[in-house]
Amino acid sequence: MKKVVSFLLAAVMMTGTLAGCGESQPSSSPQAAGSAAASTQASQDVSGQSITITTWNEPSKDDALNMYKQAEKATGVKVNVTVIPESDYSSKLGQMVSTKDASSDIMVVWENDLKNFAEAKGILPLDSYLKKSTIKTSDFIPAVSKLSGGMGATYGLPWCAATEILYYNKDMFKAAGIPLPTNNWKYEDFKAAAKKLTKNGVYGCALPNTQTWWAGIGGAGDKIYDPSNGQMVIGSGAVSFVKDCKEMVDAKVMPAPSSDTTDLFAAGKAAMAWQGSWNVGTYADKLSFNWDIASLPTNKVKYNTLHTGFYTINANSKKQTAAWKVIEYLMGEEGQTINSKASGNPSALKTIAAKGAWKVASAKKVTNWDAITDSLNSGIFGYTCLPSGVTNNAVSKFNSALLGQTTPEEAVKRASDYAAETIGY
Amino acid sequence: MRRKNQDNKVAYAFILPWIIGFLCFTLFPIIFMVQQSLTNRKLNGVSKFIGLTNYKNMFRSSVFWNSLRVTIFFTIVMVVVTTIWAIIMALLLNSKQRFNGIFQFCYFLPSVVPTVALAYAFRTIFGKNAGLLNNILSMFAGRNIEVNWLYQQNTIYFVVFFITLFTYSTGQMMLIFRSGLSDVPKELYEASNLDGATFIQKFFHITLPMISPLILFNAVSGCVSALNGSFALLYPLTSENGDPNGSTQVLSLLIYKEAFSNMKVGYACALSVILFLVAAVFGGLIFAISKKTVYYED
Repeated sequence: MKKVVSFLLAAVMMTGTLAGCGESQPSSSPQAAGSAAASTQASQDVSGQSITITTWNEPSKDDALNMYKQAEKATGVKVNVTVIPESDYSSKLGQMVSTKDASSDIMVVWENDLKNFAEAKGILPLDSYLKKSTIKTSDFIPAVSKLSGGMGATYGLPWCAATEILYYNKDMFKAAGIPLPTNNWKYEDFKAAAKKLTKNGVYGCALPNTQTWWAGIGGAGDKIYDPSNGQMVIGSGAVSFVKDCKEMVDAKVMPAPSSDTTDLFAAGKAAMAWQGSWNVGTYADKLSFNWDIASLPTNKVKYNTLHTGFYTINANSKKQTAAWKVIEYLMGEEGQTINSKASGNPSALKTIAAKGAWKVASAKKVTNWDAITDSLNSGIFGYTCLPSGVTNNAVSKFNSALLGQTTPEEAVKRASDYAAETIGY
Repeated sequence: MRRKNQDNKVAYAFILPWIIGFLCFTLFPIIFMVQQSLTNRKLNGVSKFIGLTNYKNMFRSSVFWNSLRVTIFFTIVMVVVTTIWAIIMALLLNSKQRFNGIFQFCYFLPSVVPTVALAYAFRTIFGKNAGLLNNILSMFAGRNIEVNWLYQQNTIYFVVFFITLFTYSTGQMMLIFRSGLSDVPKELYEASNLDGATFIQKFFHITLPMISPLILFNAVSGCVSALNGSFALLYPLTSENGDPNGSTQVLSLLIYKEAFSNMKVGYACALSVILFLVAAVFGGLIFAISKKTVYYED
């Protein structure tokens, strides 16, 4: 019996060792299959097939604004939607790629994962499909073309191009006699207005969120993301912006970081907020005061971060042709228009974005829609190309500086050091 | 002889399910974890053998050393605080009074709430602007009190250790101590009463020695719970970064962050090996101390 137990133990150890020690580069067969599928099955009838798309956004409950329902009607392909919560989204997709999971045919992949998944051969290059398609990649906004160009092939197509903008409480501005923000507002104008608007328990501006911290830092002159080596590049710009925010927190112009999750702008307790353009659709007609939007104020550089997700085809999918058919619809004028109407986000295709379907009909208080197009032109893919652990860690350090637990210089240095030891692993 | 062999086979057959479970779900994962710690495996599955590079990088990282320091501090304080609290609760419940069952139910009830739900509830209580505690304090003080409980380094530990008193681990300890206390022979207390012993003297010279084996058991299980179970408590309260400023970033949080936010699975495995060793050292130390302090009746 001892021999049997010894043999079992040895077998388990050997299996473990062999399973991990070898270089586990994924097989290239699905990739080859994908290319073959593109060239040989393009004309195949895929109607009646069923595919699954994985995303973090709940589809619209209104069928007319549900692009997946409309895709079903247009292509004849049944589209099942798997929604994974945003907080776990990236890691769940990573696990699916790692285990060669074929349960999802289309994955909407974030900027920072696109390269990783392509490297792992978990997603297909789409160039062979695109050659026979009506989708004009030359029509993409420059930032998208630049991002795809760095990978040697097109692995994903952007579902939209969201931007970051300034939201302001019009009533508070008028009551204080301050001229309304414009798309050419300077950073100094913003700081002066925030100071004047702070009174009676109302903050001049909400604290930057995990996204707009980077708009402030980029605007102060830092590059943030270097595509040549994938590193985070922050320094004097970050120190300067953190110092500004600390001064505003100390003067109670901005709230101190805390565990409270209340949206102070929506609650009427902050006169301004830097947030994503998707909040236009969220606020729509729900706020009890008059509000409007403007481009983020320009500091040294006009800067905001673009946000998107890329439609990709799972390299292990058995229904790649049907998946492409659905993507083609979603990237076409009808699919993109429905998406813009539902989400309030412009298309990354310039000619479609120019038609303005993203102007959320129910957001009647918004007049300065040019803020979105202006932000789209100045936006770049910055921090979203970095691992979320690195950027979240940096924001945590910046918050510590605002609370006086460390200096802005030390916070930026520690954030940079952690990024350097993490990126390039 | 043949009968003896037959008996052995039957016995082995009975323990075979456990052996298979142990091999598949304990031994293999541990070996696999150690082996993966020698690779640069990412979450997307790409992996290459890199020897001890993960360990070298780890020992150079100030984030790791901070996390190790926080883990040791958190474990020691949590074990001490929860054990003392569980003993106090067990002593109170052991005294003869009406409605003892109701008290026991009330004390144990929060322990059966899932830790994540408990943590979110306390996050609401300890909020700065809209938190229940600050509102109550403001009401009594007659002015607006806004203590930033979860973001200040001088309040965060108080909050975290306070919440640990309501976790399952503490509730379980309380029940074990309660059953242990009821087994202490009454004659010992009667004899000490005749000698005029005070409550404190009886506690330190009779109760504590008699339940010392249970203290050892609870200390070991509390230690393992603090090392591995702290994630479920801290993640909702202080995020993967262990806010404020890394003050609560125990190793389990760092492992999660490296594996699932930074996709560094190999590095996270190396951190897990260290956590495994820390648990082993804590276990060894507790047993070493217990040799001199635990009283076993012959």
